[in-house]
Amino acid sequence: MTGLAAAGRLLRRLLTRRGAALSLAFLVLVACTALFAGFLPLDPLRQSIADSLKPPSLENWFGTDELGRDILARVVYGARTSLATAFGAVFIAALVGVPVGLVAGFYGDWRDSVLMRCIDVLLALPNILFAMALIAVLGRSQGAALVAVGVAGIPSFARIARAQVMALRPLDFVTAVRGFGGGPGYIMFRTILPNALSPLVVQAIVLASIAILLEAALSFLGVGVPPPTPSWGEMLRTGKSYLYEAPTYAVLPGIVLTLTILSFDTIGRALTALIDRDETDAVRETAGGRR
Amino acid sequence: MTAYVLRRLVQMLPVLLLASFAIFAMLYAVPGGPVAVIVGENASQEEIAAAIQRHGLDRPMVVQYLDWLGRALTGDFGLSLHSRQPVLQLIGERLPATAQLALAAIFIALVLGIPVAIASAVKPNSWLDRVLSGWSALALGVPTFWVGILLILVFAVELRWLPSASRHVPFWEAPLDALRSLALPALTLGVYVSGILARFLRASLIGESRSDYVRTARAKGVPESRVVGLHIMRNALLPFVTIVGLMMANFIGGAVVTEAVFTYPGLGRLLIQAISTRDYPLIQGCILVILVAYMLINLSVDVLYAWIDPRIEYR
Repeated sequence: MTGLAAAGRLLRRLLTRRGAALSLAFLVLVACTALFAGFLPLDPLRQSIADSLKPPSLENWFGTDELGRDILARVVYGARTSLATAFGAVFIAALVGVPVGLVAGFYGDWRDSVLMRCIDVLLALPNILFAMALIAVLGRSQGAALVAVGVAGIPSFARIARAQVMALRPLDFVTAVRGFGGGPGYIMFRTILPNALSPLVVQAIVLASIAILLEAALSFLGVGVPPPTPSWGEMLRTGKSYLYEAPTYAVLPGIVLTLTILSFDTIGRALTALIDRDETDAVRETAGGRR
Repeated sequence: MTAYVLRRLVQMLPVLLLASFAIFAMLYAVPGGPVAVIVGENASQEEIAAAIQRHGLDRPMVVQYLDWLGRALTGDFGLSLHSRQPVLQLIGERLPATAQLALAAIFIALVLGIPVAIASAVKPNSWLDRVLSGWSALALGVPTFWVGILLILVFAVELRWLPSASRHVPFWEAPLDALRSLALPALTLGVYVSGILARFLRASLIGESRSDYVRTARAKGVPESRVVGLHIMRNALLPFVTIVGLMMANFIGGAVVTEAVFTYPGLGRLLIQAISTRDYPLIQGCILVILVAYMLINLSVDVLYAWIDPRIEYR
């Protein structure tokens, strides 16, 4: 079975779970509005002081902020910031974490000890603290937030990749490739990695929810993506100052942020459950019930 | 036991040394570095050169680090670049506030989390379990700062029962005032931590309840409350305590954010202020103190082990 067909089958099974299907629908909606925001009649930067802090209306569904900007427009464009930061961060985390885990698990010698001690040091720092320290160094920018969130995600990828290599390395098909003369690099990246993809992809989805949360938290603290770029965390930060005048200002963007985080988390957990079940079934089939 | 605790304390030293060096190196690698903050934006070349000379910033980084370390060991973390007050004094002023918040939050988390976990583990997959599991997923997934904002909206803006910005009132000086100030931030952080507790304690309880000794106890006719309360609970606490130890990092992160929501004058807010004003000595001091606190919490979690499970030997 090709990878694409397997992914399609997994997707169909995922959609039979109500929570996961709803989550996926919501994420598709958020992603589409973010992607095609340019075609919508929304302007996140147009100011009109006369219309500041208006409650939700037919004209401004989510109301307006302290500068009279349309909050819905800022939520839609904020989705771009959040999703771009999250995907960029997951990409960085995978780009560094997966090779580190592969090498550590494949050789298992001093390279393993050195690499995993470094990962332990990363794990020892609360990730928001680490991200804040990194931003203190890099200065406040979207790029800094992206790198900070990404570095915080490296350990989880490294650990999963390492565990996968250690589980797959002694299997026959790997030994066969070695017999054909496959070198360490070929075995790690062309033989083992394609067979270890599913837990890594699930981890990427789980990490996306953590990355969105972390980016929002950094922006809420005032050290994330700098204004005037719309960002959900930044909107909650400003909205908090106007709780008496415009309570919906901090509530509505918060709902979108929360639903996005919960959706990624729900899909991640549903996929974990499906893949776990598949593996249990596969083990039963191949080993005749022995484990 | 004492020997074990002492050895663990000694083992903390190299990690702390490494971490302090890493933080030092990171902050001094900043383009412009501390000089820019010391002399201000419009300084002339001469002023910059003088400041570099005066603070010894032209020396090799390792020399500067050793110099800083030597003074840090005697309790001198330098002066804040902005307020010109000793860093340690600034931290000392904020530490009691954060400690009080943390204790109150842990109390709320235990009171909420443990009953939820037991109720949902007693009958896994029942409607009650599903409701309670959904609740812990919400407690974990909803951003702490948004929960805080919602609590302010309900209890401060609408009902006007509690203040929206919290002060630090020492509990032993004015207990009622302290509780009023602490209620919302502690609830915000406590609900989040209770989600962690409930999710992992439930898993751990369900795992234990399938063991042979539980079946034996039931077969002997031990009352269900004793089976759950004494047999299962005691054994389930062990893996649970490990998770709680690992989760302490999230707890500290949550505390930093919670303090920001309620403008609570704790260590987390001090750190955020230090970062936004690029107050390097203060950033270093705060991160190190938080790191030490984190490691000490983890150590106490490990020590808790012995108390829960006498089978574990400390060598």
